[in-house]
Amino acid sequence: MKPMKPFVTVLNILVLLTTFAHAQSDANTIINTIIDNQRGGQSGRFTVTMTVFKPDKESSFTMTSVSDGNDRSLIQVIAPPRDAGQAFLTIDNNLWLYNPRLKRSLRLPPSGRSDSFLGSDISYNDLAGRDLQTDYTAAVASETAETITLELTPKELAPTPYGKIVITADAQSYAPLEQVYFDQRDQAVRRISFANFVDVDGAAFPTHIEVENLLREGERTVVDFSDYAFGIEVPESCFSQEALESGCQ
Amino acid sequence: MSATTSKPLITNQLPSGRNAGTASLYRLAWRNIWRQKRRTALLIIVVAYASLSTIFFWGITDGQVASVVSNQARFLIAPALITTTRYQDDLDPENALPDLAFTAGLNDIAGVRGSAPRIDFPALLRSPYTSETALVRGIDPALEPQVSDIPEKITQGRMLQDRGEVVLGRELAESIDVRLGERLAIDASALDGPQAAGLRVVGLIDSHIDAVDQNTVLIHLDDARALTGVTTATGVALDIARGQEKAVAARVQEQLPEDLGAYDVLTLLGAISQDLDNNVISMIPIGLLFAIFAALAVTSTVLVSVMERSRELGMMASIGLAPGRLAWMVVFEALFATTVGWLVGLALGYSLNWIFGTWNILGPIFAAASDSFSSYGFGDEFYAVSKPIYALYASVTILFAGIFATFIPARKVAGLEPVNAMRDE
Repeated sequence: MKPMKPFVTVLNILVLLTTFAHAQSDANTIINTIIDNQRGGQSGRFTVTMTVFKPDKESSFTMTSVSDGNDRSLIQVIAPPRDAGQAFLTIDNNLWLYNPRLKRSLRLPPSGRSDSFLGSDISYNDLAGRDLQTDYTAAVASETAETITLELTPKELAPTPYGKIVITADAQSYAPLEQVYFDQRDQAVRRISFANFVDVDGAAFPTHIEVENLLREGERTVVDFSDYAFGIEVPESCFSQEALESGCQ
Repeated sequence: MSATTSKPLITNQLPSGRNAGTASLYRLAWRNIWRQKRRTALLIIVVAYASLSTIFFWGITDGQVASVVSNQARFLIAPALITTTRYQDDLDPENALPDLAFTAGLNDIAGVRGSAPRIDFPALLRSPYTSETALVRGIDPALEPQVSDIPEKITQGRMLQDRGEVVLGRELAESIDVRLGERLAIDASALDGPQAAGLRVVGLIDSHIDAVDQNTVLIHLDDARALTGVTTATGVALDIARGQEKAVAARVQEQLPEDLGAYDVLTLLGAISQDLDNNVISMIPIGLLFAIFAALAVTSTVLVSVMERSRELGMMASIGLAPGRLAWMVVFEALFATTVGWLVGLALGYSLNWIFGTWNILGPIFAAASDSFSSYGFGDEFYAVSKPIYALYASVTILFAGIFATFIPARKVAGLEPVNAMRDE
């Protein structure tokens, strides 16, 4: 066998590195598209119905929500009457709560961010930030004609306790189909499923989301979006303390 | 030959009448206690045991306090800590040290053996399964071993070396279900907003002290700075020899800028320190019970002695020794025997305390006997303490023995009818 020429070796490495960088870039582009699809990709106003299933009870909430399509959103509970008036304002990584009974708003401390949102399987952390894009390195794990699967592994020092997240999306539209969170022992601990997509200027927005706690049997949360309007102009005043307390008109 | 006949009862030195010297009574009482060697030996053993128990009891009681304070100093706080005065009122990172320039000459102050900067701050620890709030400590891995024994108690993994690592108390790790080598997310409220980091668990601490094993979170000082926004430290821990904390902290205080304070471990413990003092005070009734039981044993033995000697006591009274002086003689007998027992007890008690204060014999026994010891903050090291005042505590037995002997056997002797007494067999 002829010895490999140094030039060829260097060329091969360069090709490999370029391919890797390209694949990485592709994975990052895909995850960005998936998240944009998941969030609607642009400003919007919605009615959200959330049903929380526990082994011994079931509770339902109706909320209105506005979002600027990026990192700002306002959610207000309108039913049941017992919880009506509660509101949640997210700006970047900051989250404020308003309690109508106390007539007080407070900024959620970091210690409260993993608390359950209205007793559901969704945490306040899920409401704020775009941690899937910022905290993980994405790689394409597999691809078929119908679906593409990405594996997200935490970056160094990234503030996540998960070992990896596996995201499955439609191979054509990159509409998110499923996100499975794994612990560091390769055990699935949480699954989020997406369905009932609507087209929002080319983005596939899921209007039905199910969050399943895989560690506690029978615990899941179902979220349905209705009365949605995308690409609307959301006033700046909707993302303020006044809107948190008295609503966004 | 019977012990009762080993020495003559009545000699030419027998005091007579009310003018007889008290010194003669002493001599007579002293001679009498050695006439009944077995009974006197029993008395001495009882009192020696009571004295030994009293000294050992207080050695252990004070040893408990010393153990808790020592563990607080070596594991939880520090022998002494320098912070801003504001920080002592409000343990918030915004009250951190303004700069660390003062640390340059710290180790030159007499009594300061080492120093290490720290950042303490509240945070949320998240695993995939649960979350828990904790007080996180940012440390310099190179300096911390100078002021803390925690690095020696890392039983799995290793001590921190670099950023991105965390060392946890074993029980805390179990409660949030995170294992060695796994990632843990930490959320904190920084001076300029929320911050978070994911750190890998590199070591688990098993100190057998609940407060340490259930609460300790050590991260690199630079990670703590990133999470809190504090660029200096919330405090500088000092290593000081045990027992010198207060004096050395006072010396350090003289060298510090006005808005900084040097606080010794007992000052930092505050209410806990007061609780420990109260616990010691609450032990006083138990110590008194020891003394009372021993004195009662002495009294009953003396009483039996008096009853057995009715005939000879009656004879002594009949030849002129007044009943009152006979009674004093009995009291002196009780006091002499008790004093000898006390001295023997002192020697044995202090020897025992020295042994248990030199070698960690009780720590492993207590740790193995019950988990509750770890909840009190004892750990697996426990040393007895010796203080001169224990001799005084033990002498309470003599006091009680004197009082009881005065009221019971001595009164019986004082009421003796010589004629009737001499008829007794």
